[in-house]
This record gives sequence, C-alpha cells and structure tokens, in this order.
Amino acid sequence: MSIKVSDLLKHNFTLIAGEGGLNKDVDDVYICDLLSWVMAKAKQKSAWITIQSHVNIVAVALMADLSCIIIAEGVEAEKETIDHANEEGLPVLNYAGSSYEAAIELYHLLTT
Amino acid sequence: MKELALYILDLAENSIAAGAKNITIDVHVNSARDELFIRISDDGKGMDPDFVRSVTNPFVTTRTQRRLGLGLPLFQDLVRQCEGTLNIVSEKGKGTIIEAKMKRSSVDMVPIGDMGASIVSMIISNPALDIVYSFVLDDYSFVFDTKLIRETLKDVSITEPAVLSWIAGYVNEGTKEIIFDVTKNINKNRGGIQAL
Repeated sequence: MSIKVSDLLKHNFTLIAGEGGLNKDVDDVYICDLLSWVMAKAKQKSAWITIQSHVNIVAVALMADLSCIIIAEGVEAEKETIDHANEEGLPVLNYAGSSYEAAIELYHLLTT
Repeated sequence: MKELALYILDLAENSIAAGAKNITIDVHVNSARDELFIRISDDGKGMDPDFVRSVTNPFVTTRTQRRLGLGLPLFQDLVRQCEGTLNIVSEKGKGTIIEAKMKRSSVDMVPIGDMGASIVSMIISNPALDIVYSFVLDDYSFVFDTKLIRETLKDVSITEPAVLSWIAGYVNEGTKEIIFDVTKNINKNRGGIQAL
C-alpha cells in the first residue's frame, strides 16, 4: 500500500521541518547513518531513518530523491538542518525510539 | 561518533592515560584546499615503534580492565571515510603526535560538535593538564590556552563549576562549524543531480 509522509504523523513520528513536502509518497524504508552509503544505495521515495542530524542529511535526501528523513533516538536536529528542510520542503520527522522500532512502525504502515 | 569533538576527546583521553602534562589540539580548515587538518600532540610516555604499528588495531590497548581501545581505530575509520590520511609519530619517553588531513567537503564528515564539553572533560580528567587548543578557519583563528586561564584565575581552581561552564561557552563561541554545507552545491546545479 502506498502511503504519504503525512500518514506518519498519525503515529509516533513528529514533524519538525519541511511541512511543504508532507504529500510525498513513501514507497520504501532505508536505514543507514553513513551518508555516502545512503547516497549510493537508498531507493527513491524511501523514508530514511538515521541518527545523523547535521545539515548534509538534507542534501543527501534531496540528491537521492528520498521522501522524508526520520531522525531516531530522539536526537535533536541542528537549526541549519531545519532551515534547509523548510526551504526545500523536505519533511524531517523526529522519532523517540530506535531505528529498529521506527522501521517496525513503518513496516506496519506500509503493509496494512 | 556524531561529532568531531568526541573523537578529539577520545584521543586526548589516550594522551592523559599516557601521563601527558601538555596537550596541543589543532583544528584547521583550509577552504581553498578543501582540507581539514587535525593534530593532537602530547608529551606523554610515547609508544615504541611496534606499538605504533599496531595501535590502529581495535584489539590492541594498554588498558587492562577493558579489552578494546577504540579511540584511534574509530578516528582512522572517519579519516578513511573522508578520503584523508592519518599519520602517527611517537617516541618512547617524548610523546605522541597524531595528525590527520581530510577532505573537508566529504559527505561523511561530521560536525565539530561540542568542543567546549570535550575540553572541560579533559580538564576534569586531569586538572593539572595544560591544553592549548587552536581553531583556524581560513582567515579566522581562535586559541584557548589553560595556562593563560590559570594566570588570570590566580588562586581560584580551574575546576570550579563556574570556571568550567565559562570555559565550555568560551570554547564553543570561538569554534566555528567546519562542515561544508553540500546543499549549496545542489542548488547551483539542480539539473545535474541525477548525474551524481
């Protein structure tokens, strides 16, 4: 089933930036904290789960055409990250649990 | 690790464990050369050539309680990811110099982070330790020197909470973000994104 980034907000994901992109489709999920790896491997329209929070996560998400960034473990995003994500309309969401727990929630959303 | 400051703290803890009385930390960015240079040098007990050769192996450590010493191996991983080179020079009885040059704009570069907290941790680990920390970003430069702080403080201890909290703030104010904002490049050539 295809879902939108906005569907995540009904669950334990909190939007912290990039409201303009809430209508983006989420087709897949990718988890990785090494940015070069994400650029090379993540599929388009994926929700990307990471614990990185600095400004270049926005750059990587744009380059790889990802739907949104989910920052796990309750890590706070830097101000520059939030500003860039707002400018680009790239949703950035915060998740209190681990990357694994975030992935489980997304799995249920994507398969039911 | 998420911050360069944490890598630097780990390396400085090695220096402190080696009995260093002085640690010099240099973080220098040269934008024109797209280079980040980091050097940590100490006057600790140093390492013999065999140990230097094996020191980036995570299963080698001088510690007896914990089996792994990960400070240098993790730093070496970061240097590799950021297309850099790592150089370790050490002499028994003299001290150790760890030098790294990295590609500053590497997408795997981590932010500088909370250098103030790292410097304060080093002071708490060994209040007698003298630290010179220099941060350079092109024309901008900042130096923090515990010797100068001690002179100013006179009879007040450097480990007073108010002093430590001032040091953390002062160091963080003097330190600038090193990370290169890749978004600036994307916006310039949006059409070329697919080519990347």
